[in-house]
Amino acid sequence: MTLLAFARGPALQAAVLIMIAGICWRLAGIFLLRRRKRFALPRASVTGRIGGAFTTILTRFVPRRTFWPRIAVSVMLSGVFHIGLLIILLGGAPHIQVIHQVTGLTWPNLPKGLIVIVSGLTLASMIGLLIRRVLNPVLRLLSTVDDYLSWLLVFLPVLSGVLLSGETIGGYGTLLALHILSVELLMIWLPFGKLMHMLLVFAGRGAMGIDFARKGAAT
Amino acid sequence: MTDFSFLADDALVDALIMEIAGLLRRLIEHGEAGIIDVLGLPLPPSCVASLEQRLGHGEVTVRLDAAGASEIRETGIPGVWWTRHSNEQGRLVAMLIEVTFVPEILKANIADVVRGAERLPALTNVALRARGADVALRARGAGRPHDAS
Amino acid sequence: MMHHKETLGTMLARCGFGRRGLLKFAIAMTSSLALPPSVAPVMAANLAKAKRRSVIWLSFQECTGCLETLLRSSSPTIDQLIFDFISLDYQESLMAAAGSAAEQTLREAMAANKGEYLLAIDGSIPVKDGGVYSLTGGRSNLSMLEEVAADAKAVLAIGTCAAYGGIPKAYPNPTGAVGVEDLVSNKPIVNIPGCPPVPEVLSGVLVHFISFGRLPELDDRKRPLAYFGTTIHDQCYRRPFYDQGKFAKSFDDDGARQGWCLFELGCKGPVTHNACASLKWNGGTSFPIEAGHGCIGCSEPDFWDAGGFYTSLAGGSATGWKSAGIAAAVGLAGGAAAALSTRIATPLEDAPASPPEKTPPEKTPPDKLP
Repeated sequence: MTLLAFARGPALQAAVLIMIAGICWRLAGIFLLRRRKRFALPRASVTGRIGGAFTTILTRFVPRRTFWPRIAVSVMLSGVFHIGLLIILLGGAPHIQVIHQVTGLTWPNLPKGLIVIVSGLTLASMIGLLIRRVLNPVLRLLSTVDDYLSWLLVFLPVLSGVLLSGETIGGYGTLLALHILSVELLMIWLPFGKLMHMLLVFAGRGAMGIDFARKGAAT
Repeated sequence: MTDFSFLADDALVDALIMEIAGLLRRLIEHGEAGIIDVLGLPLPPSCVASLEQRLGHGEVTVRLDAAGASEIRETGIPGVWWTRHSNEQGRLVAMLIEVTFVPEILKANIADVVRGAERLPALTNVALRARGADVALRARGAGRPHDAS
Repeated sequence: MMHHKETLGTMLARCGFGRRGLLKFAIAMTSSLALPPSVAPVMAANLAKAKRRSVIWLSFQECTGCLETLLRSSSPTIDQLIFDFISLDYQESLMAAAGSAAEQTLREAMAANKGEYLLAIDGSIPVKDGGVYSLTGGRSNLSMLEEVAADAKAVLAIGTCAAYGGIPKAYPNPTGAVGVEDLVSNKPIVNIPGCPPVPEVLSGVLVHFISFGRLPELDDRKRPLAYFGTTIHDQCYRRPFYDQGKFAKSFDDDGARQGWCLFELGCKGPVTHNACASLKWNGGTSFPIEAGHGCIGCSEPDFWDAGGFYTSLAGGSATGWKSAGIAAAVGLAGGAAAALSTRIATPLEDAPASPPEKTPPEKTPPDKLP
């Protein structure tokens, strides 16, 4: 079996199944935990629990003015990275194709040149984030294998993807196989490490929002 | 979208003309022939047409009938010949720029000459048929093509 | 059949082709083989001097498509003469002899040209159960290959089946089909894959061999670089549409009618090495993409098992919804078990000693606070 056939066949099947099982495992494992009983009276809340959840999810996207001077660089690097990745995934023609294959939905794609530029910015911001993580003493102390591995498993797909679209380095077949395999590695690791923040950030913010809507600081 | 292909054409054509100049120099100084396989180059058709147009037409055009039709034409630069070879089905199978005094394929091959000499006695009583090539001479400002038939 | 005394030059002259025709053919061949044009006169001279090269053609687990395509080739007449000229000493579909007479012919051809004949193979070779799934005259292909390859000068694996196993090798490969290169290791092998292969490729390889006494330059899959060095994608005339992102979304839609790129309809051009996009088929008439159908990658190993022909390279064959559902159920079960074990293991630390009072105690109303 060629590498490409492996990547598009058994490896893809395994990665998808592991990712689905892993995500369900972690979400179930978190949501089915015992919740702290609240014995204080709730305050009169305008938004209610669900409203509180959504409010906090949205407000936490905006950095607090007090911290801004210290966190500006990391917020901007992180913003470029996340938004860049979103543009690549939702605007790139081959990715829309994959989504179409799975869901049947389709929409117009962005020009290839634009995706390449955005990919370049995304890679640059990722390198910036890595440098920051290594140089900042607190972050360096806190960083584990999980952090670096998660970074690598996102970096490789973006890098291999932009090289593939350029079609200058390496054979198309090999690069495509490597790109798909790197995405599959990402899929396999996703439920078990820091990358799970993709889903858990909303769960976490939502939980806080529900708590604070009930009783506490209205943020 | 603006079409910039004409710029590429110019650069490629210039490069080829310089290469032909180099081959011509070698021909003059050492008597060595040179060939450029046009179909083997990654040239757009517009570039090929542009080059052919620039080199122009010379004094000699030869039509060759051997395993299909071929045309060998001297360009406006003496010693630079533009050759098109087609197969029996009429498909173009080779296009060459030959820098030489006379393209090799025009010369009668010794093996063929020997075989022809063997056949000649049998032809004395019949009209001579020209086989292999019709040579149409277009002298400057004079003459009409004549067939030897 | 075996007039080995006559040279090609003499034979061609007999058929009315002089040296000019041969030189023209050599010029076309050097261009096709991507050799320097100055080599043409040398090739022509070598071809004229060449004696008939014996070719033994063994057909194994094949559909005969490769042989048919070579016979139907509308290459110039001189190519056909080349085929007449390489003494095709054994070929089961074409030869008049049959049965034991045919076997006799094979033995004689092998003996008369020992160490010098070219062995052309089309079809894969089944190896399971002692190779019993493909027999000729009661003899397995496996043992025939072993015997005939032993005294061959070189082996030409013609078509994807002979080169890599092809369609018989497709999952689940019940007969244990393999390509020639998996069985022959001590002879030079040329793979000429394709389902079927482009006819001009075989004539190019034969002419090169007859002219220079050696096989042309091969890539890492043993394919002639001159014909398999680039992908269909690299030579495709629809490439500008790919680069501009103009894709046909379905067969016969507007984009398809305007000749847009067929990537999204499953074209495997970017990962397929062959000469179809430049040499084309039927003497340069057309090729699948020009006819509106994406490349199926037929000259690559395992092309039949590389997912659907209409699934683009961007997609793959992932799981069905049922397996996804099972995976989700397994995950949920595991997570629930993990949560449950944590619940059991963790004591209820924050449970108050007595249940809270039903009514809350008096508190200062909020609007009275300082």
